[in-house]
Amino acid sequence: MSSDERFLRQIPLIGEEGQEKLKKARILIAGAGGLGSAIATYLAAAGVGYIRIVDVDIVENSNLNRQILYHEPDIGACKVEAAEKTIRALSHDVEVDAICRHIDEKTVRDLVRGTDLIIDGMDNFAARYILNSASLDEKIPFIHGAVNGFYGQVTVILPGITPCLRCIVPTPPTWERNPIIGVTCGVIGCIEATEAFKYLTGTGEILKNRLLLWDGLRGEAESLQIMRYPDCIDCGSSAIEQDVRRFRV
Amino acid sequence: MNVTVKSFATFREVMDRQLTLDIPEGSTIRTLLAELNGRYNGLNELMFATMDTLKDFVNILKNGRNIHFLAGLDTPLDDGDLVALFPPVAGG
Ligand SMILES: [Zn+2]
Repeated sequence: MSSDERFLRQIPLIGEEGQEKLKKARILIAGAGGLGSAIATYLAAAGVGYIRIVDVDIVENSNLNRQILYHEPDIGACKVEAAEKTIRALSHDVEVDAICRHIDEKTVRDLVRGTDLIIDGMDNFAARYILNSASLDEKIPFIHGAVNGFYGQVTVILPGITPCLRCIVPTPPTWERNPIIGVTCGVIGCIEATEAFKYLTGTGEILKNRLLLWDGLRGEAESLQIMRYPDCIDCGSSAIEQDVRRFRV
Repeated sequence: MNVTVKSFATFREVMDRQLTLDIPEGSTIRTLLAELNGRYNGLNELMFATMDTLKDFVNILKNGRNIHFLAGLDTPLDDGDLVALFPPVAGG
């Protein structure tokens, strides 16, 4: 199968050069749930060359309303293994690194290293703060996305340039098992994938210094200007000083 | 002076998504919220844990800056400010 033919319809937008950039790109999809499903599917289809996908969960029947990487026969299987199978069936050209591991302070460094972009498919803020810190420390851009019911939000975090996740949401909202539907994961996952596509190919204007808020209930999206907090504990000058001190020791 | 308020996500279930209020000089986020609570039933219960503390999911941005990093509820307001009330969503 010719990959030239596969990308015939998108090359007018990004050029052969842009397609080559996608092929060389190495991305981390953190979480293989509803968001991760949309992100992985569209970026694999677009021709991203290397996808590292990380999740520790097993596929359950109650995931199938939104996690489109999985099908009924996958119930009980390890998510990332089933994800790899689906992605590989879509494109034999994509290299998939499926990692069944919990993302925590101990594992995050190894998980983000060697990638050009971190994409958020997590379901809680504790894990997102860990990814946010790793993104800042390793200077790897981080596309944040999250959903609840019909609502969602997205922003692109460029370390040292834009506000980080902590600047926008300083304290984690209490974890609750909120309602979640497939279409909202699809919308927000696709906006994250769009930002990744633009960032990797150098196309358009990325969603930086703005928080996009999606309201599916009313069919409206709006983006708010967001500002960096100079003394942010994660990206501010004191965080950087602490870093310098740590290196000196 | 005029301040514009925008609400997002679940806050829209109890209040308008955008309104401009004429409030007195010297107003703060706290007095603005008191004004809003007078207009919208259920907003107080949705936002406040106690009379003096917001629930942990309530994020308020003044011109793009989280009031957590400013003076919290005592953050002063100026003419033309944009105040966004937003409960971050967390699922994935
Ligand atoms: Zn920050």
